[in-house]
Amino acid sequence: MSLNFAQQENIGFRYVVDALRCDSPYGDARVRRLRFYGSHEKEALLKDLRNVCAVMATLEEKSDRYGRIERLMMQLKDIRRSVERCREIALNEVELFELKRFLLQSELIAPVFAEINEAAKLQDIEILAQSEALKLLDLDGQHAATFFIPDVYSKTLRAARKEKRRVEEELRRAQGEKERAPLMAERAKLAAVEDDEERHIRAELSEGLRPFLDGILGCMDAIGMFDFTLARAKLARRCGGVVPELTEDVIEMEDMVNPRIAEALQERKRSFTPVSISMGKGATVITGANMGGKSVALKTIALNAYVLSAGILPFAKQAKLPLFDGVHIVSEDLENVDRGLSSFGAEIVRFNEVLDECGLSEKAKGQASGKHMLLLDEFARGTNPEEGAMIVKAVTRFLNRRDTFSVLTTHYDGVAEEAAAHYEVVGLRDMNTDKVKTEIDAARKEDGADVIAAHMNYGLYRVEKEQGCPRDALNICRLLSLEGEILHDIETLY
Amino acid sequence: MLLLPLIERYRSLSIIGMCKNAGKTTVLNRIVEEFENTGKTLGLTSIGRDGESVDVVTRTHKPGIYVREGTLIATAMEMLKHCDVSREIVETTGFPTPLGEVVLLRARSDGNVQLAGPSITAQLAKLSGMFFSLGADVAIVDGALSRKTLCAPTVSEATVLCTGASYSRDINTVIEDTAFAATLLTLPEQRSFTDADRANMKGKAILRTAEGETVPLPEGMSLADALRSPAFDGVTGVYVSGAVTDALLKPVLMAGKRFNGLELSAEDGSKLLITRDTFDKLKLRGISLTAARSTKVAAITVNPFSAYGFDLDKDELLHRMREKVDVPVINVLDDVALSDLSWHEESKKAIEARRAEEEQNKNSSHCCQVE
Repeated sequence: MSLNFAQQENIGFRYVVDALRCDSPYGDARVRRLRFYGSHEKEALLKDLRNVCAVMATLEEKSDRYGRIERLMMQLKDIRRSVERCREIALNEVELFELKRFLLQSELIAPVFAEINEAAKLQDIEILAQSEALKLLDLDGQHAATFFIPDVYSKTLRAARKEKRRVEEELRRAQGEKERAPLMAERAKLAAVEDDEERHIRAELSEGLRPFLDGILGCMDAIGMFDFTLARAKLARRCGGVVPELTEDVIEMEDMVNPRIAEALQERKRSFTPVSISMGKGATVITGANMGGKSVALKTIALNAYVLSAGILPFAKQAKLPLFDGVHIVSEDLENVDRGLSSFGAEIVRFNEVLDECGLSEKAKGQASGKHMLLLDEFARGTNPEEGAMIVKAVTRFLNRRDTFSVLTTHYDGVAEEAAAHYEVVGLRDMNTDKVKTEIDAARKEDGADVIAAHMNYGLYRVEKEQGCPRDALNICRLLSLEGEILHDIETLY
Repeated sequence: MLLLPLIERYRSLSIIGMCKNAGKTTVLNRIVEEFENTGKTLGLTSIGRDGESVDVVTRTHKPGIYVREGTLIATAMEMLKHCDVSREIVETTGFPTPLGEVVLLRARSDGNVQLAGPSITAQLAKLSGMFFSLGADVAIVDGALSRKTLCAPTVSEATVLCTGASYSRDINTVIEDTAFAATLLTLPEQRSFTDADRANMKGKAILRTAEGETVPLPEGMSLADALRSPAFDGVTGVYVSGAVTDALLKPVLMAGKRFNGLELSAEDGSKLLITRDTFDKLKLRGISLTAARSTKVAAITVNPFSAYGFDLDKDELLHRMREKVDVPVINVLDDVALSDLSWHEESKKAIEARRAEEEQNKNSSHCCQVE
């Protein structure tokens, strides 16, 4: 997919993937090889997501059934390779044992699934008991969870075992090596006949299984899909998740969350401020003071667009967004400087690559297709502010004229004028200064900064017309009682 | 003399050998035989590979393991083709070995089996649990060459220690070393530290000071440093987690100090990797060795025949071994008529033949060089 591992890690996607806990190896395989939906697969994605919601909606009501099916799925082992091998060759006794175990398990899982599905009504997922195949392997009809070819299966086998047993009984009575040796030799011959016949029977069984192999694989696939769906539903219940409305030209997200950052904040006893944003095609710029949470907002947008294409519900209260073929992020701290470029140079090279991938460059015009989202985190921050501002301005102007969704964070002045939409981190704007001042005075001197951080609002608000720079820095100086003479000087300079 | 009365009170048993060809497999076969009429179900496995009909190291005859119907066996996938009992596969374990995953089978007839179990202590302990839940009454682990960790109490309650002429040509060495191994396995239980002390310990060792306090071994300080330092004068107990080796103890001894009644303990006898010399010197310096969990040695078996062709006098070996230890000692081959030992003669011949072959190879390679 469009993001590499480091980028996925950076926006919190790997955290989400790791939080998907499947019970069966078939579900785990789906998590390990996530399927990414392309923009032309909207219907399939929506069907998948509705299944996730249907499971989420029935988790409470059917909790004991879900508990039971989870325990049953936990006992499964991934034996798809044996099943595939069975198409060509005869399975050995351990493979047949494992297959029988799976088939027995399918008979236990299927009715529990049916009960769940009565309430959840999942589309295109059906777990069917593989009873016909089981009949073939349940040679004594006991439904035993072991594999043994009983004497009654073949005349040759019965005869060989009967004869062998007679010799074995004689062996038990035999005294000394002299009596034993000939009996052991006789026994070895009979054991060879038994072994031969068993091999023959295993080949016969494997052949008999062949018509059922597709059904068995289908059952494993369905279990995997159900397990994966259940894992996504549990994640959505824990971190919030909503079925989005898939749009073409607009993004409207209400109260988005980034679970990884939320958890990191929780460890420090702080909470994540949900991010809301609405934007159209073209460039959207997010501004705000340093450390004010611009990057967090950008990562949260990227994560929610990206999880959607992986079939995971966006973490938001309301979500309207397109299904993207690619989400691309350019961030100085993610660029590989091994290519012998400065961080700024690497950023430019990466930006060019992204333009190619999105079909925005002159070179790639008409070649790349699909829907893309482009996110630039503090582009050109590594260069001098004057030049940097000009570069970002030009980039914004370029992106704003394109038919792509782009989001840029920056603290350069004048960039927002070039964008279709401008958001700013709320910061200290709505803060009750007197109240905070009292709190700071009550706190120990060195804790003042923490008190301010606790009152910092990391949410975004839309800037309708240019209002000039926020005065957060000055506010902070005041709150933390900067030396009076200096403070006075700053105020006159503003 | 029967083994059964010595072992039947234990639920899990390990068989360890002082060396290859000490007669472990013979002991295992005897146990299987003696259990036959007790109505008890055995679960058998080995640490690593064992039970080949020809010894892969010395290429001499080795008795196979012949089990009774109903026995549970845990062995690697690749070994199944050498198990000629009627096999019922009852479980897979997920424990990998070089010979494939370990699987559990139930013998639905008498017959030969070859064992190749896991070589990780924790997996062996888990296997015993699986045996019991499948209906076994006794779990037996057959040890491979010098795998003394097998007698860790977590794996088995008691051990049968096998020794014999293959260990050394010198009867004194066989007896002294075997007795020493038994001593290490059956050390008295330690009394200086509580279970909580040991469970919460940080670092390599904890010490009990003269004032009765439990303190960790200071970081960056070796055990010898600590025991020599005046700060730890009068320490009454030391507990070492992990292996207690000669390298750890030699510096302590070199200090030339006397430790009156100092108790030095390890987790269990399998963690003591020390020579008899060190052991004796510790005693002389007033240090007593103990273990947090002691193993029981149910019996010592002796095999007077060597796979390398030098046999010991069976009566002398048995007699002197019995004098040396206070554990029951039996001769593994005492029921076997001499005529049944034809294989022993055969293996001697095989050794001779191989030596001759090697000699010839050596000569022929010389010839090549000359040419």
